[in-house]
Amino acid sequence: MRRVLTLLLALGLGFAQGDKLKACFIYVGPVGDAGWTYAHDLGRKKAEAALPWLETRYVESVPEAQALPVIDRFVREGCQVIFATSFGYGEAVLEAAKKYPNVIFAHATGVKRAPNVATYMADFYQVYYLNGLAAGALSKTGKVGYVAAFPIPEVKRHINAFALGVRAVNPKAQVLVRWINAWYDPAKAREATEALLAQGADVFAFTEDTPTVIQTAARKGAYSFGHYTPMLKFAPDHVVSGQIVHWEVIYIDFLKKVKEGVYTPKNLQNVDYFWLLQHGAVEMGADYGVPINPKHVPLLQKAKLAVGGKEVAVYDRIMTLLKDMQSPKPTFDPFTGPIRDRKGVVRIPAGKKASLEELLTMEWAAPGVVGDWPGEPK
Amino acid sequence: MRLELDPAPSLGKVALAYAAFLLLALFLLALLFLAYGVSPWRAFAVFLSPLTDPLGLSEVARRAIPLLLIGAGLAFAFRVGFFNIGAEGQLLLGAVGGAYAALFLPPGPWTLFLMFLLGGLLGALWGGVAAWLKVRFGASEILTTLMQNYLAYYLVVYLVAGPWKGQLVFGFLYTDRFPPWAHLPRLGDTLVHWPTLLLGVGAALALQVLLFRTPLGFALRVLGENPAAARYLGLPVGRLLLWVGGVSGALAGLAGVGEVAGIHHRLLEPAQISLGYGFTAILAAWLARGRPLWVLLTAFLLGLVLAGGDALKLAFSMPFRVVDVVSGLFLLALIGAEALSRHRVIWRR
Repeated sequence: MRRVLTLLLALGLGFAQGDKLKACFIYVGPVGDAGWTYAHDLGRKKAEAALPWLETRYVESVPEAQALPVIDRFVREGCQVIFATSFGYGEAVLEAAKKYPNVIFAHATGVKRAPNVATYMADFYQVYYLNGLAAGALSKTGKVGYVAAFPIPEVKRHINAFALGVRAVNPKAQVLVRWINAWYDPAKAREATEALLAQGADVFAFTEDTPTVIQTAARKGAYSFGHYTPMLKFAPDHVVSGQIVHWEVIYIDFLKKVKEGVYTPKNLQNVDYFWLLQHGAVEMGADYGVPINPKHVPLLQKAKLAVGGKEVAVYDRIMTLLKDMQSPKPTFDPFTGPIRDRKGVVRIPAGKKASLEELLTMEWAAPGVVGDWPGEPK
Repeated sequence: MRLELDPAPSLGKVALAYAAFLLLALFLLALLFLAYGVSPWRAFAVFLSPLTDPLGLSEVARRAIPLLLIGAGLAFAFRVGFFNIGAEGQLLLGAVGGAYAALFLPPGPWTLFLMFLLGGLLGALWGGVAAWLKVRFGASEILTTLMQNYLAYYLVVYLVAGPWKGQLVFGFLYTDRFPPWAHLPRLGDTLVHWPTLLLGVGAALALQVLLFRTPLGFALRVLGENPAAARYLGLPVGRLLLWVGGVSGALAGLAGVGEVAGIHHRLLEPAQISLGYGFTAILAAWLARGRPLWVLLTAFLLGLVLAGGDALKLAFSMPFRVVDVVSGLFLLALIGAEALSRHRVIWRR
């Protein structure tokens, strides 16, 4: 009898653990959004293709307040690693992590960790700066539009980097910001774009999970920069460049380390991925391998900016910096002092780079940013 | 050939109508699952899986709680001829009242009581406004309650984006977390906030007794069957309607308090607070045929449809729109069956 029980137990454990590692993904939007969630899902698929021992599941369009029941079900279905891909899942993840101490959680863009909760982010701020250089060179009105999701540090950091780039080329340019308070809302994005067009903006960047801004801007002949995934196809004559993410780089690294036993549900307290150009987690481009739309290269070669007293073509400047920041030891960083905010307060002293902490908690607005800025420090 | 109302459908006919429509829905769904590349049998098993384990049952119960509270109130209101389509808005106002008590009144053991009191009152007020407009000006309550939903929706958006926006929420649109006094107890590890569930069961029982075992209930039913007769009888029609609007609004308000105090622990964007319970509950009430007690059954049935849809999403990584089609087809089948069983076909002229 005991032997039978032991056998059953062994079988049960065998089934429970299986040969495959089961990783499950919670998405905040639909996988077809062409933005944030689509990019995560692409990363999931690529990780699954690259790692033969990996099995994945996902559930899309989970409201942030409903994450906990979804995690409950995932754990019951045998998920060993759960990726929660929205900042708003934070509290649910931490609560679930206490409830399931043997499950590994990873929270994208999160700030709070626990022994079994890691955080990860593929950040674009360097790319935004480079796109800002191009935007500054292309704008004829000196007004660049930015359709922004939520006024949180991540989005503010990106707008600031973008504005610093714009101002590096055209010191008088303005970046007009409109908040739509949604990650995924094509209707609001279109409204905001039209309002910015009416205000005179002729180049656009944005944080929203659809190509709506690009399409709306292109109809009026305005340039734009893609966000999250290659968006060249949505307006081949007007998409100049953009930010492209490679979540699979992080997913594959993380899951390999889980499989090898480097990461366990006990030692993730300090595991935080903040991966940039140098790790290959992000790319500058209108499409994969196309840093700048060839149609716009001549314009950017004609435009000049002063670097250290010398006239340099904007195109060359972008390419030099891109190469530098992609190298293992970058020397350039957009947030290198002296940088004042738009009220004149020194935020980064001369000769210093913003620390990771400063990047993650950035609330100030860069010079040239125009518009409402919730949470702006006095 | 024509259709006419069947005042007293036989049990056999009702059963047959339901069986036929459910089979039709299952058949269409089987085609859908096949097209999606999933075995229909496995899909149906997953859809019903919430019934087979405690965690699944708790998910059904969690969805059923607001449906039960609101549905009981609506079944009552529909029976009296007050077609309240505004439960969603009344729920939101209840959540606002609850959040106010939780965030701005001195916390203590009385906090939960105050939350339910204030939430219920605001819900009652919101339902009462529509009733008053109907009594005073003859405004159709279907339109007024529907429009009031939007007012409530934008009131919540205004509050969470403006004056009540939290200090610790990084620009997101919600309030700070409620203090611990404002958290409803839950069953073990689940999200089933049982005090609200008890309130719902109590409300269904009480309204059933009121409607069928008291003189007041008789008066209300007369009003529902024939308003003109009620007036001739000298019933205080206006006061009765105000009362009904208030009661159904109050119950929706309590459901709203339950959602914020039991699950979210904060006031947040309206679409995240309720997941459309105020509208789904209309169906629960309609299927209950004006008997508040029956909502005990229909609320859990609809809870299963919602929880089963979630199970499908997770098990097969199905797109949420496909899952919405699944829930939608089931709901349509229920409506069709109910409509068929209430009518009969007359073959001769």
